[in-house]
Amino acid sequence: MKIRTIIKPFALSALIISALISCTDLEIEETDSIISKDTGDFTFSPLADPASSLSDLYNKIGGDFQGQDNIYALNEVTTDELLVPTRGTDWGDNGVWRQLHTHTWNSAHLFIKNAWNTLNQNIFRASEIIESNPSPAIIAEAKFLRAYNMFFVMDFYGSVPFREVDEGPKVNPRVLTRPEAYAFVLQDLTEALPDLPSTGPDLTKTVKATKEAAQFLMAKLYLNASVYSSSGEFDSADMDKVIAAVDAITASGFAIESEKSYFEIFEPTEDTETIFFLRSEVAPRIWNTLHYNQNAPDNTGGGWNGFSTLAEFYDKFEGDPNTNYEGDGQEERRGIVWDNTNANDLNLGIGYGFLIGQQYDSDGSMLKNRQGGPLSFTKEIPSLVGNTEVQGIRLIKYHPYDPIPDTGDDTSPFIESFRRHQVFFRYADAYLMKAEAMFRKGQTAEALTMVNTLRSSRDNTPALTSLDESSLLDERARELFIETWRRNDLVRFNQFTSPWALKEVSGDPNVNLFPIPETALLSNPNLVQNPGY
Amino acid sequence: MRISVFLTVFKTISISLLKRCSYPCLFNYLYKFDNQETLLEKPIIQLKFKLMKHVILKSMLFFASLLLAGMAQAQTVSGTVSEPNGPLPGANVLVKGTTNGTTTDFDGNYTLNNVPSDATLVFSYVGFSQQEVAVNGRSTISVTLEEDAAALEEVVVIGYGSTTVKDATGSVASVTSEDFQKGVISSPEQLIQGKTAGVQIASGSGEPGSGIAIRIRGTSSVRSNNNPLFVVDGVPLPSGDTSAEGSDIGVGSSAARNPLSFLNPNDIENISILKDASSTAIYGSRGANGVVIITTKSGRGGASGGTFEVSSEVSVANPANEYDLLNRQQFLSTVAAFGGTARDLGNDTDWQSLVTRNTISTNTNFAYSQNYGSGNVRATFNYGNQEGVVNKSSQERIVGRLNASQRLFDDKLLLTLQSTLSRVNDEAPPLSGSAGSTGDLLGAAYSAKPTWPADPTFNPGDRINPLNLIQNFQSLAQTDRFLLNLSGSYDITDNILAKATFGYDVANSARNASLNANSFNVSRGAAGNGRGALNEVDNDNRLLELTLNYKKDFGNSKFDGLIGFSYQQFQASGRNIEGFGYQTTDLDLMADDLNNAVGRLESLINGGYQQYGYSAGTGLFVNRLFPEPSNESLGEVSNLPLRSVFANTFDNTDELQSYFARVNYTIADKYLFTATVRADGSSKFGGNNQYGIFPSAAFAWKINNEAFAGDTFSTLKLRLSYGITGNQDGLGYGQFVRRQRYSDGSINDDGAINIPGITTVAFANPDLKWEETTQYAAGLDFGFDNDRFSGSFDVYRKETRDLLLNIEAAQPSPQPFFFQNLDAVVLNTGFEVALNYDILQGEDFNWTFGVNLAYNKNEIQDFDGRIAAGTIRGAGLTGAFAQRLQTGQPIYSFYLREFIGFDANGNPTFEGGVDNQKFVGKSALPDFTGGISTSASYKNWSASLYFNGQAGNYIYNNTANAFFTGGAIGSGNNVTTDVIDLAGVEGRFAEASVSTRFLEKGDFLRLQTASLSYNVPIQGVGFFKSMRFNLTGQNLFVLTSYSGLDPEVSVVPGGGDLLNGLPIAGIDYTSFPRPRIYSLGVNLTF
Repeated sequence: MKIRTIIKPFALSALIISALISCTDLEIEETDSIISKDTGDFTFSPLADPASSLSDLYNKIGGDFQGQDNIYALNEVTTDELLVPTRGTDWGDNGVWRQLHTHTWNSAHLFIKNAWNTLNQNIFRASEIIESNPSPAIIAEAKFLRAYNMFFVMDFYGSVPFREVDEGPKVNPRVLTRPEAYAFVLQDLTEALPDLPSTGPDLTKTVKATKEAAQFLMAKLYLNASVYSSSGEFDSADMDKVIAAVDAITASGFAIESEKSYFEIFEPTEDTETIFFLRSEVAPRIWNTLHYNQNAPDNTGGGWNGFSTLAEFYDKFEGDPNTNYEGDGQEERRGIVWDNTNANDLNLGIGYGFLIGQQYDSDGSMLKNRQGGPLSFTKEIPSLVGNTEVQGIRLIKYHPYDPIPDTGDDTSPFIESFRRHQVFFRYADAYLMKAEAMFRKGQTAEALTMVNTLRSSRDNTPALTSLDESSLLDERARELFIETWRRNDLVRFNQFTSPWALKEVSGDPNVNLFPIPETALLSNPNLVQNPGY
Repeated sequence: MRISVFLTVFKTISISLLKRCSYPCLFNYLYKFDNQETLLEKPIIQLKFKLMKHVILKSMLFFASLLLAGMAQAQTVSGTVSEPNGPLPGANVLVKGTTNGTTTDFDGNYTLNNVPSDATLVFSYVGFSQQEVAVNGRSTISVTLEEDAAALEEVVVIGYGSTTVKDATGSVASVTSEDFQKGVISSPEQLIQGKTAGVQIASGSGEPGSGIAIRIRGTSSVRSNNNPLFVVDGVPLPSGDTSAEGSDIGVGSSAARNPLSFLNPNDIENISILKDASSTAIYGSRGANGVVIITTKSGRGGASGGTFEVSSEVSVANPANEYDLLNRQQFLSTVAAFGGTARDLGNDTDWQSLVTRNTISTNTNFAYSQNYGSGNVRATFNYGNQEGVVNKSSQERIVGRLNASQRLFDDKLLLTLQSTLSRVNDEAPPLSGSAGSTGDLLGAAYSAKPTWPADPTFNPGDRINPLNLIQNFQSLAQTDRFLLNLSGSYDITDNILAKATFGYDVANSARNASLNANSFNVSRGAAGNGRGALNEVDNDNRLLELTLNYKKDFGNSKFDGLIGFSYQQFQASGRNIEGFGYQTTDLDLMADDLNNAVGRLESLINGGYQQYGYSAGTGLFVNRLFPEPSNESLGEVSNLPLRSVFANTFDNTDELQSYFARVNYTIADKYLFTATVRADGSSKFGGNNQYGIFPSAAFAWKINNEAFAGDTFSTLKLRLSYGITGNQDGLGYGQFVRRQRYSDGSINDDGAINIPGITTVAFANPDLKWEETTQYAAGLDFGFDNDRFSGSFDVYRKETRDLLLNIEAAQPSPQPFFFQNLDAVVLNTGFEVALNYDILQGEDFNWTFGVNLAYNKNEIQDFDGRIAAGTIRGAGLTGAFAQRLQTGQPIYSFYLREFIGFDANGNPTFEGGVDNQKFVGKSALPDFTGGISTSASYKNWSASLYFNGQAGNYIYNNTANAFFTGGAIGSGNNVTTDVIDLAGVEGRFAEASVSTRFLEKGDFLRLQTASLSYNVPIQGVGFFKSMRFNLTGQNLFVLTSYSGLDPEVSVVPGGGDLLNGLPIAGIDYTSFPRPRIYSLGVNLTF
């Protein structure tokens, strides 16, 4: 009786309530994003607008490569071209910079991790575009971008993880060995080539993937094939392919710039050398090296006083070993430091190339450092930590001076510290790759002629009398410094493990590969750590 | 065993119910009405009554049949129920052992029919001792109930009901308005700070309206949201922010404002804190971090003629502490002592004092309450204006509230309305938890050279001039919120109560920030161009809840059962807009210009869109997702007041649907059993795990009611509980499914915009589920001498599994991070002690003393990963971090270089090399937290003191790391006087890596509140019914060894600036100085 009196009203009321209320299916609706409804087992539904996703991928890659950290730092700060000494408390940054310079990085290094994540993410996004049945032209561009990113994963880490677009988060991506990755990149480029547009120098076209950009990257692949196959031997057939790829680029109209000066190539105007560029900011390349008191009207805060080069790297260039003012006998590519005779409002007092010694303001006055002493960059850097503000030669290729007036009503149309015109592939590099391929084939005389042809296009750069591995590598350094290829070159020339100033580790071939980041090892058991880490 | 059978049955029933979804159902109709319609549109009202009618009709029949039984030998009894001061409306009169009862009317009168002549009547009222009177054939019985002080404070609000402390089986703490913290209170959590054992409440800074972190029984989640679920008058609030985070317009991002600021602390009657799983499991997938239930005041206690209450308070505040920075002379000599030469511009400027201030704040409340027997009403209005001790910081709050209840149909139907309408205006200074190398306003003020002129147009070159920044920056946020709660409860029989609740919560917030072209040395191209942001968030949440309660007293045992259904919908929409390149430097005009430009551009766009942007050269572009993705280019727009505008929108709706039940069974008032279960379905989870079942069970034994217990104890109760609760806070929208939208995009530093394309923003993860916490708890309540000395002791163990975290994806993957359930355990174990002693109990003199203490130990177990956390900011500290998440360590464990000293060159040296970071055995989590309170009264005077404190935690002094080192002096920055002694020891170009050098103990004891009040003895004389004055001091002193401004800190950067998405604790980077506040208030009733 009693139990019943409990249950009866309860059950009755429960019925009333359940009759009154129905229920919701708890599905989220497409209000601000396109939702793939396949929430059960993972299947890939094509991207909603592959063309739009492709343009987003260009934006993202531009952003990923523009920073001074991650990919750029792994390519340059690990070499003799650049180091970022700790100046007072500045640039300590938890040791990331000095670990790169001293080759003492480990699998927890922030940039090694970030570069891995970024490059692989770009690979996946490219795969999504390729698998969404877009036009052949879009597939070709996406394949080029995938190849470009995978090239660096292969180059940095050896192994390359790969996830098919229909593999969900539960799938541990399979891992391509370095030779497999090499073949994959080559296949992407080969398949992309027929559907990519061909162009000569044309800023409206070289801002995207072209046949010439693909050929450039193929030349890089073939030239480094001995590294990726671990054979150590440069295969003559590969070298022929390098030459063929570069010849194809030349045939479409690219040439060593003969009209413009060397540093004008990096301005956002037409030149005959830019094969591939992106609209990503050049500001880090300008400001990471300049002192706080070197500034521009659109960047009154000045530089960040970080990146410097080694004295021994500076000494690879012709000219007075201690100053770099006008008339110091320097070759064109070493640049110039303005002084009270030629600093002006247009050049802002900011020089080009290698900045050493006393620096001047746009009005010709001598700049001071923050302690009130002279802002005079020294050649030597005694230590990785405890440096003053002025130690180390600075080097810049991009300059805030911009010859194209802004379309907006900017009050200072010739100053563009934050303009977006970053050169990724340059013809001079291709040209030197061809020279190197000939050199590797034993055609040393022809290679020397090519090198000297390039040198003759740069002012005040006398011809070399002979060519060997060392001088070829140095020539690439003088022509292509801080253009993201130094590490690649050093590894290919077997010089990445050589000693240089303030570097602790030398002779350990394991450093030729970066470690697989520890977070990647934990998230994908198929990955195996590289030897030595 | 029985529980598991019950669970299985419940699960089967609930799942089958859920799968049987029929459309269009009443429910959906109810909630699918257009957003634009106001709440009080017809459908809701009509449906409400329709629904009630349905319930009423069916139940009437049932009720009538029950009544037929006891009609014999009946008579009518009437009378008056009084309390010592007069008649008592609303008192219960019941024929003992039956369901026959009534309540007294407005004059305390009652009439009860069908009373057997030999029956006994039971008179009761909350807060008064129950009386039983034998009828003995009388037809008139009047009684006077005596106040029961003990009973009055014993009622505790629990989920979907209330109980008393003596009958509670779970661990529930309740703080009533008399015990609230006094003084300037900007949000309700502050009312209970230090009041309850095991509840740690820390405001991150002294900024008005800043967010507050609440941890109940430790930190169980590794994600950034560990706050408990807040339930206001039965409406569970959404966990998200109601205001937008501040975009980085040149000085770093900033966190959202405290979403609870909209409640007027003066409106709050009671705050209940549910700590153990048996109490919180009724809230299922949101209960794991505990539940805070806020009950607002009603007009129940109001006088029949109505009572007006006015209280007003004026407060003065000043920074409680400031850094001892070098003046000009000290600066010059210190630079020299370090071997440098300072550039002396001849000034002696105290920058710190130029950006901080002493303030006056006011707060005024008007309240009217009336109780007219069948109902009551309370209406309040609050205006408060609190100024922050840093310039350009303030919070203005305007809140209106109307609470009303009405009994109908022989008092069987109770309709209740609780509503509040508020506007909160926040003004924020340029402070950021993620400021770049030049620091934010405070960092700039600490490091600015004293030799600079106090002139906002002075450009120091590479650094920020604090006066320049504050003059050229403005951030104003306005948040309007309306929270409405309508409920109807109906006594179907005397044993059965049905209740329906409709909740509606809408909050609209807009933050407009501008940094003009006159600023210098800030980031994002703001200098010379001007940059601004408009961030809007609109929240729209609806709730429907239906419960059915059955209570039955079987003489020797009592049964109390509850079943319920709940549906809640959360919509968050809004837009984030950036502007760049302003023609004006007037900060108000900049905001207007951005609004106008947005209006212009939007008028040119037809149809919906996800985003649009305009920049000179590119023109206006529009990105649409629906009906098909498309990019439209609309060309140049002439005469816009800005060079570039970029707008991105979002619109997300989540749903939660739940079924729940609770059974309380009490035997002989000695053995109490509680079992609860909730089935929660959430649209945040994938198809495989949409529904979760959260059970709990508890047992309590009132030992003092046992014969063998004797009279030693007035209270002795053992409590045991077990339960599983979930957590889904901090998990964003649609993280289990692959979604595509346009990339976020922004205006570049040169004013140009890279037009975003569509990208995959979330990766499918159908297995995603809530995070689950299993808690085992035991407690002992005891009291001696009629509870004059009382206390409780609790122990618990919480195991949190399936940790939800945005972790690094196995690459290649569309996003660098995606949400997963981590295979790891966070273990929290601890104990809590609370003691209260009424030292003196007298006619005129009373003195009570209370102390609470909690110990918690936290550890991560079975975790394979190692995740860096705790970003350190400052020049030369990019990428630096101080904490790491790893198995075997507590959350927020410091992972640092071990500092040894300085080498001959004055560079710091560390154990094991320059970059050897390791665990140093210290964590930001305190071992002990506690509070001490004492209050005394003598006649009309009363005074109270509240101390709170913690011990065992460490603080990373990021401010000192970034600004107060030899290297900082070398860079020409100002430092504190502590640095003077480092001359000759630390080099002037020394680096300052993150190390134990800057790790300090965070132990403290704070005199949080001291108050003195005086009741003017005017009772019954003149116009006023009562008049009270009080004087309160807050944050009067802090005992600590910490060298920073205040040991109770946590920097709160915007969510996007958290390293690896992990929250930050125990890191002090230029925190907003905590004020010391003195308030004088008056409270009048008439």
